[in-house]
Amino acid sequence: MNTLAGIVAARLVGSAAVLLFVTVLAMAAARRLGTCILAYGFQSAVLAGLVFATGFLRHSATALAVGALVLGVKVVAIPWTLIFLARRLAVVPRLASRVAPLPSVFATVLLVFFSFAAVRGFASELHVTESLLAAAVALMLSGMWLMITHRLALMQVIGVLVLENGIFLAALATTFGMPLVIEAGVMFDLLVGVLLMGLLAFRIRDTFEHLDVSRLRRLRG
Amino acid sequence: MTPWLLLTPLVLPGLAAGALVAARRRSAALVAGLAWSLGAAEIGALFLLVAAAARHPLVWSAYLRADALSAWFLLTTALVFGLVLMYAASYMRHVPPERFASLPWFYALLFLFLGTIVGVYLAANLGLMWILMEGTTLASVLLVGFYNTERAVEAGWKYLIVCTVGLALGLFGTIAFYLAAVRGGIGSSSALDWSTLLQQAARLGQTPRLLELGWVFVAVGYGTKVGLAPMHSWLPDAHAEAPSPVSAMLSAALLNCALYALIRFHQITARALGSGYSHAILLTLGLLSVGVGALLMLVQRDLKRLFAYSSIEHMGIIATGLGLGGAWGVYGALFQVLNHALAKCLMFFAAGSVRERYRESRMDKIYGLGTAMPLTAGALVLGGVALAGLPPFGLFVSEFAILRQAFVTHAWVGLLLLALLSVVFAALVRHTQPMLGGRPATPPEGPRASRGGLLAMALCLALLLLFGLHLPACLERLLRGAVAVIRS
Repeated sequence: MNTLAGIVAARLVGSAAVLLFVTVLAMAAARRLGTCILAYGFQSAVLAGLVFATGFLRHSATALAVGALVLGVKVVAIPWTLIFLARRLAVVPRLASRVAPLPSVFATVLLVFFSFAAVRGFASELHVTESLLAAAVALMLSGMWLMITHRLALMQVIGVLVLENGIFLAALATTFGMPLVIEAGVMFDLLVGVLLMGLLAFRIRDTFEHLDVSRLRRLRG
Repeated sequence: MTPWLLLTPLVLPGLAAGALVAARRRSAALVAGLAWSLGAAEIGALFLLVAAAARHPLVWSAYLRADALSAWFLLTTALVFGLVLMYAASYMRHVPPERFASLPWFYALLFLFLGTIVGVYLAANLGLMWILMEGTTLASVLLVGFYNTERAVEAGWKYLIVCTVGLALGLFGTIAFYLAAVRGGIGSSSALDWSTLLQQAARLGQTPRLLELGWVFVAVGYGTKVGLAPMHSWLPDAHAEAPSPVSAMLSAALLNCALYALIRFHQITARALGSGYSHAILLTLGLLSVGVGALLMLVQRDLKRLFAYSSIEHMGIIATGLGLGGAWGVYGALFQVLNHALAKCLMFFAAGSVRERYRESRMDKIYGLGTAMPLTAGALVLGGVALAGLPPFGLFVSEFAILRQAFVTHAWVGLLLLALLSVVFAALVRHTQPMLGGRPATPPEGPRASRGGLLAMALCLALLLLFGLHLPACLERLLRGAVAVIRS
């Protein structure tokens, strides 16, 4: 594997974790919804690149199909849907988080450190790249962090998506992905899920005249 | 023959949904007729499948598989769906037409919901099972938010977000199982096949820490969908705000479906790691759910929320039975699945009729049920007796079996369970009794319970009574087969 493409692929696998940590921090620091959508698109693109690179290094044709799916669904379709929703719902572009950007970034850095600590034992036991597994856990945790700290309905959707990206990466880092049929099915569910969340966001706006899920508290006890 | 048996009940709901959406601008009679005839065909197909799978496991390709355990759950689902259709025909009479919220859409989504549930029972692959499980959420979220009121929209949003996050954790757990299987030397094409994993469980046991991690994530993930405490937050809202036929589907079909997935993982874990670890987690979650459900039932004010918390409590009893294990524990748990489904259909049907008649479901505003709607009130009282686990209804037999197992192996579990069950009894009496007597300030104006609705309730009661007195031989055989699948 001494060809140029092989070296590029190996480099990408090596640096993917760093790029993913950057997207996670960018989301924590974001003051605008657009930034978050962009960061999600970039994060998915890194994952797609990672799938292509591992597919290339391991001579796997199914990996190419999975990479194309990631590219089509997570890099194009979902970010586009989110931008469409943000426009149609006339969301105020400035995000009102419960936590200010600086403490949020600080918390995310802590989550990244925690992820490294959490996977240490497993990474050596399973012989997988520690940084990638840590990135997977960090994506999952920061997805939940976004869901807890943001009030806007669309940010909850982005939180779920980041969480799912983490799970996808966990499968990729440990087993080079699940069988193609299953990955395709999961991706289909994700796409339908985002569309339904968008539909419900419209309903929330039409019935409550706002999109602040922290103010949905009619149901108690 | 096998492919047809397995594929028909899976494909038919999809076709039915398509037909109903296509006919959405036609007359209401045509829509109802379509829903009824296609529903009857689907139930027939399910019964044929159950009869065949009860005798020997059916397999088709690498993706579909049914054994006695799937058959037992499918039988429950088929019964529930039939009852729900019967009730819905009269209940959903005046639905204001809105986007995705008209009668044809209601039936179409109900069929899709059923199709995904049936799919979970037939999936031979844990990944496919996850996809269809998430599909049940997606198919039912618009049914939960069907009325489009503030409360319904909020419940729908919460349902979608909480269950999606929960199931995402379940997917992580599924991946851990897959990883353990691949590392154990099982080929990646069959490493998600639950029957393979079960046969080769010893290979998974080579990475015990990974498997323990996977099982915890699966228990939390699928447990969210089962409504086990402390992941139950979506359940009362969704059950209370959905139209009553949908509440019955959620409680009597969906929760069981998630429980079934949990059982498949539990089986694999128990065999790979030896009994103890997975049993202990089921037992803990189960007892916690019984406790949370029972105590919160005491303080409810809404009739449907009361029954929603009762669902949490009953899922807890079932998980406790499975966690105890043993012949009686598993027998009781599986029998409880069927009995609880019937009792909960009955209660949500009755609650729906009460809400229609009084245009109100706050229990402190409902008086004089005994005179205003005597038959429904009778159903409510008898259903309450059944839910409390008293004879002569089926729930008594199944709960007694679980208690018997508890007193043999873990006496403290039995004592705790008995104490909590008496709290449930107190809660049911305390809430039901004041609604029966008295006289409402203004006589209720809503429509009376329809004949179809009353017939559905009577059928639930008759079946519960039958199962309490004597389980027919064919069902007993199927139940024993399902127990043997878990205990083998």
